[in-house]
Amino acid sequence: MRAFGYTVAGSPVEAVRIAARTANSTFVAGGTDLLNLMRDGAETHDHLIDVNQLDIGEVAVDRRRLRVGALARMRHVAEHPGVRREFPVLSEALLASASPQVRNMASIGGNLLQRTRCGYFRDSASPCNKRVPGSGCPAITGHNRGHAILGGSDHCIATQPSDLAVALTALDATVHLIGPGGARAVPIADFYLLPGSTPDRETAMRPDELITWVDVPRTALAGQSRYLKLRDRATFEFAVVSVAAALRTRGRVVQDVRLAFGGVGTRPWRDTRVEAALRGLPLTGQAIAEAGRLLVRDAEPYEENRFKVELVQRALVSILSDLGGLR
Amino acid sequence: MSGLVGQGVARVDGRAKVTGAARYAADNEVTGVLHGFLVMSTIARGEVVEIDTRAALAHPGVVAVYTHTDMPKLTLPNFPYNRPFIPMQDTRVHHNGQPVAYVLAQTLEQAQEAANLVKIRYRAEDAVTRLADALDEAFLPIKFRNRPNETARGDAAAALEQAEVRIDQTYGSPMQHHNPIEPHTTTAVWEGGTLILYESTQGVILARKAVSDAFRMRPDQVRIISPYLGGGFGAKGPTYPHTLLTAAAAQLAGRPVKLVLSRAQMYTSNGHRAEYRHHIRLGATRQGVLTAIADTSTAQVTRIDENVYNGSDSTLHLYACPNVHVRQLGVRLDLPTSSYMRSPETTAHLGLETAMDELSYELGIDPVELRVRNHNGVNPRTGDPYAGKYLLECYRAAAEAFGWARRKPGPGTTRDGDEYVGWGMATETHTYGWIESEVGLTIGLDGRATLRAATQEIGTGTYTVLTQVAADGLGMPLDHVTTLLGDTTYPPASLSAGSSTMPSVVGPASQAARSARDAVIALAVADPRSPLYGVPAEDVVIEAGRLFARGDRGRRDSYRDLMARHGRLVEVRGSGANTPGHSFGAVFVEVRIQPRLGRLRVSRVVTAHDLGRVLNHRTARGQVIGGVTWGIGFAVMEHTMVDPNTARVVNPNLSTYLVPVCADTPSVEALFVDRPDPDSTALNARGFGETPGTGVPAAIGNAIYHAIGRRLREVPFTQDKLL
Repeated sequence: MRAFGYTVAGSPVEAVRIAARTANSTFVAGGTDLLNLMRDGAETHDHLIDVNQLDIGEVAVDRRRLRVGALARMRHVAEHPGVRREFPVLSEALLASASPQVRNMASIGGNLLQRTRCGYFRDSASPCNKRVPGSGCPAITGHNRGHAILGGSDHCIATQPSDLAVALTALDATVHLIGPGGARAVPIADFYLLPGSTPDRETAMRPDELITWVDVPRTALAGQSRYLKLRDRATFEFAVVSVAAALRTRGRVVQDVRLAFGGVGTRPWRDTRVEAALRGLPLTGQAIAEAGRLLVRDAEPYEENRFKVELVQRALVSILSDLGGLR
Repeated sequence: MSGLVGQGVARVDGRAKVTGAARYAADNEVTGVLHGFLVMSTIARGEVVEIDTRAALAHPGVVAVYTHTDMPKLTLPNFPYNRPFIPMQDTRVHHNGQPVAYVLAQTLEQAQEAANLVKIRYRAEDAVTRLADALDEAFLPIKFRNRPNETARGDAAAALEQAEVRIDQTYGSPMQHHNPIEPHTTTAVWEGGTLILYESTQGVILARKAVSDAFRMRPDQVRIISPYLGGGFGAKGPTYPHTLLTAAAAQLAGRPVKLVLSRAQMYTSNGHRAEYRHHIRLGATRQGVLTAIADTSTAQVTRIDENVYNGSDSTLHLYACPNVHVRQLGVRLDLPTSSYMRSPETTAHLGLETAMDELSYELGIDPVELRVRNHNGVNPRTGDPYAGKYLLECYRAAAEAFGWARRKPGPGTTRDGDEYVGWGMATETHTYGWIESEVGLTIGLDGRATLRAATQEIGTGTYTVLTQVAADGLGMPLDHVTTLLGDTTYPPASLSAGSSTMPSVVGPASQAARSARDAVIALAVADPRSPLYGVPAEDVVIEAGRLFARGDRGRRDSYRDLMARHGRLVEVRGSGANTPGHSFGAVFVEVRIQPRLGRLRVSRVVTAHDLGRVLNHRTARGQVIGGVTWGIGFAVMEHTMVDPNTARVVNPNLSTYLVPVCADTPSVEALFVDRPDPDSTALNARGFGETPGTGVPAAIGNAIYHAIGRRLREVPFTQDKLL
């Protein structure tokens, strides 16, 4: 790892100001991903701005929304009674992530910005369009079991690994930012970018912007949400396929539904057509299967991840059957 | 005898390990040490054309960057050196991740960053990297360490032709890596003409041979120190290039050098379990008696050597079959040389024990009963009946504890909620070695004993068991005996590999303890100042460090008093031969599978093992838990991915190379037959450590078949294969 400078910022405004005037700098909170990226040479920074002192760690639920400060730790949010009661999918997604030690350290802002687990991205001696634009994508012809079947391009098929991001995508969260140009809010649906021909650009964040908090609307739907995560070992592992789902039914008819998928897309994957296909229909195995087929209609699987086409549909059946009380 | 042997004595080094008092190889503070870091090749095959070290040399703290033009000429050592070449002796690149330059700096971080700044131009040549692409070129390699790759008895081909029932299937396992917690490390210190290495090695004596051969020195000019290992699993059995390169770098720099391999570097620096294909054909009668086994395996070897490490030993000795033909083929790929990895026979065992399960369904015979009908009572090494083999007792005891009698035989017949439940079993076995060993034992003037042996504590409990054996033989309390291991200045003793340590070192330790005890008794009865003066030596009893006259316990002396009066150390050596052999066991596994998602969990494991006399139930149980956990990892997740184009390992870290966590591993019920093996001189104990786990992958696959009727023949058994 290259030697780097280090400054502790006292406020969001100060953090952003330091970032704007310091070349090749970035923010560090828990450091659980960033330091590994720097050790592996997947990211290089000359300067780290420590934001752990910033007063943006609050978790609060009021009548309209949940507000999660960017510096709240994963564990804190996962165990928050209001989150568990009103937004169970968030708690479940966080508890299905990482290990207790990591959850004690890692911040919500850092969680949303964690980088892909693609082995080629993390190996500084391999080509990778995300790390070195134009160098190529070995995953497309190489090992791609962990890669996306939706939203990929000829340049990149890496997944975004955050479970929390998948859950927030299902619940229409908004990401609040502060930067040299002031504060702004970005709906999570617009926050993560498709790789296209610029896989190095992963989010809508502008240079030197900092996440301050995340808002999640409080709805009856959010209170009836779940997270299902499938992976290659029982815990401490990223998703092969995951689903965040919220469902409200009257009788057996679907009043409203929100679905987002992890492990299958180059960003947390939401397809409102799939939700629309279920809305207003009785929740039956057949209806869910139809919706699942719609989800994977445009899937582009590769040699090792072909099974995800089937597995994500089954995961959808499983989680909606559980939520809807189907057996 | 104080009865210490056999007890589940807690680890004598446990406190030192958990408090950090135990000094592992990289913990040694050496004055003036420089930190080394390797620059690794990024091509699989070709030549180094140019190395630009300017930016690296300009980096703060960097002392030197050595390349092939700087390195002294070294002599290629034989075994235990694991590579057919020494890197940095020329420009040739034989695999991706091969050392091509060596950076020395004041701090580790400086060395690491400077290594990133070394720019290398290569001339790359086409590389062959996938076993599947080269199977047509499989060949029969030459003998490796005197072991043939083709063995036959009877006429397997003819017997297969005539067999009433046949199984003909192919099984497979991927490349896997050992991943000990402690990375490989070497600190090299030259003192005059002597080289001292603080080394993470499973064998100080063999490592000394490799190093002294490479540097054309006498063995007594090299000292290797390795008192503790943070796991080895075979990765630290052989000697690897980084050890030689570090010694050479220290010589060039004229200063001590410490090298710790990074986790990623460990995926190309210290061997691996080779990717493996296994074609098995069984022939049997309708009554389930095996008449033929034809066993052809194909493992990855390299373009420049043909060492086969994963033998089909169990095919040769596990079942009484008159016609057996084993062939161990190799396929040359541009990858690093593979090596031994915990329980090397597991790869072959997966095929054999799965094929046996397939045969049991074909015949409608219970899998346990099929194995009982083919039980082999004859030791293939001697041709005589085994003196103490209790495998049948293992089947019985484990089956009973598991509740096997309640098993519904048909696949897919047991459900619990939304899960299918499957029960499977397999035989376990491992071939252990014997390595000539000596032990030194000293009774000090304080009446306490110190045992010295140049074997190692690989994490299995060697300190503890040798202390038990010595204390037991001496008649001392456990805490009056100190065991010192892992230093070539001690009497030469066993490599900690192949489950050979106990069969090799326990006999000498026991003999040394008895010799010392006899010597002390002789001193007592000849010492006019001793209350035991004049008592016949055979009438002296020793308990808990005190000597008594039999029948007159008022006449007593002690090690402490006696040695204080004697004023000189009592020093003895112990030695003694043993023979290699096999340990056995049975493993029964329950799996639960959620069929919609293909989600698998291993919910129950029961084992029973026959390892001769159990020297320490606690450490033996530790080996079972470890072995079963390895078996679960082998079965359901472990695999190293190599990029097909560049031959770089794609998952060289514990984040993406998955090993089981606690949540993957149920509690293990570990039973032991615990009956002495009269053929073993190691207090009737056999080598054991690598036995548990050998059958676990097959048992899990067999349980999966029983659960859902799907036969999986290639590990890892991941979710996608269970959909």
